[in-house]
Amino acid sequence: MITFIRPRLRRPLGIALAGTVFAVAWALRGGDAWQLSVAMEVTVLVSAIITYVRAGEDNDDGALAGSRADERQKLLSLRSRALGWNFAMVAAFIGLTVGVAVKATWWWPFLVIFAVAGFGQLLGWSTYTTADEDPADDASPQHEARSPAS
Amino acid sequence: MRNRVREQRTQREMSQAELAAALGVSRQTVISIEGGRYLPSLPLAFTIARFFGLTVDKMFDPDEEAGT
Repeated sequence: MITFIRPRLRRPLGIALAGTVFAVAWALRGGDAWQLSVAMEVTVLVSAIITYVRAGEDNDDGALAGSRADERQKLLSLRSRALGWNFAMVAAFIGLTVGVAVKATWWWPFLVIFAVAGFGQLLGWSTYTTADEDPADDASPQHEARSPAS
Repeated sequence: MRNRVREQRTQREMSQAELAAALGVSRQTVISIEGGRYLPSLPLAFTIARFFGLTVDKMFDPDEEAGT
């Protein structure tokens, strides 16, 4: 379905959609939270417009925002996200350690982050790893190594 | 790793933007490859070499440092 959406619109629409869902969650909270929900929706829409404008620029950031990145730009994005995830892991580890040390009740969300990260990494391994378990072809009987003298 | 992308491009009097369009990559990526800051993937290296009518080993020289 996403291929029917113009590349330049994909990321702004994703931001608008995710932001709107989050704003609705705040609205459902009830009470005065609707004011925060409205402010959040405005911020999200402004962010989506800014992303759309950025997507038109002739630079790496614009290519990523406009969903037209080439292999180098995708690699840049991947490495940046990996670095961000490493930071998040360190922060989660510190949070978990401090939470346990002070007998806090809020330690478990940090453990959830670790669990999700671990599951994601296992999924990544199973999806992207090459078939390293396959035997090397020179280990099979047809390719048995022989001495040149034999 | 040294490459001959800039040399071949200027011989053909092409701009970096024109080469980028021909290769299906961004102008920034052509700049990075020419400057030796980015090593292209094998498929892109073949695309570049074929575009200039050279072999990959003629286009990219692993024995030389970029900029030498």
